[in-house]
Amino acid sequence: MTSSVLVALRVKASPERAFDAFTREIGEWWRPDPLFAITPDGDGVLAFEGGENGSLVTHLANGKVFEIGRVREWRRGERLAFDWRQSTFAPHQLTRVEVTFTAVGGETRVTVRHFGWSEIPREHVARHGFPDPTTQIRAAEWWQRSLDSLSRRAT
Amino acid sequence: MSSPASLGRVLTALADPHRRRAVELLRKRPRRAGELADALGLSAPAMSKHLRELRKSGLVEETHPDFDARVRVYSLKAGAIEGLREWVDEMDLRWADELASFKAHVERGRGKGFKKRA
Repeated sequence: MTSSVLVALRVKASPERAFDAFTREIGEWWRPDPLFAITPDGDGVLAFEGGENGSLVTHLANGKVFEIGRVREWRRGERLAFDWRQSTFAPHQLTRVEVTFTAVGGETRVTVRHFGWSEIPREHVARHGFPDPTTQIRAAEWWQRSLDSLSRRAT
Repeated sequence: MSSPASLGRVLTALADPHRRRAVELLRKRPRRAGELADALGLSAPAMSKHLRELRKSGLVEETHPDFDARVRVYSLKAGAIEGLREWVDEMDLRWADELASFKAHVERGRGKGFKKRA
């Protein structure tokens, strides 16, 4: 599996505090991007609602609520995963965001991985027709070259 | 190709491992549907369904060789994958911005880092 987007940086806070800020305060820190909005009506105000069985939604200026995706994992101070669907995606098309919180000294490394689809590049739905491991690795590298961006690391 | 709507279609098309495998095969050279079906171990109807999805997404196009208009040959559309790359690049920049904003928010002193919030 390869990630299509990987962004990481360190914050001066405990993993628990970073997790809480990421989830409870997303509406305060999420910066709307007019050029690359989640819905045609803009990004709105994001919120994780319902905790571990809930979802990430956004409250749009027109009063509508758009569900960006269900929460898939909710481990406070460790790991958060949720689906990500922009309103222009097909209804069943989901991408997945995984956020990890790792203590580094007195700080926390926050890593965001955004997968373009659930399994890149290879899974055996059928044994027949899928190439040998060497070819698979080559194909995987190609997908990676096609899709991966540079990872960013800020300290 | 780079519009969000078509990107959604591309992601949908590539969500299926058989279709990704077909794209991998087509990046080497154009192929007939039958060839692809054999290589993937799929029935002709199943293969043509996948090819229809790939065509709808704009990743793959259908052509006919000069010698026989009845024969359909599939090939990867030039520039098709670049749209995906754009999305990845945009999302990458987007998350970098969002995380920077998140960091500023956390370190602004709210909750002093360790204080419990209600």
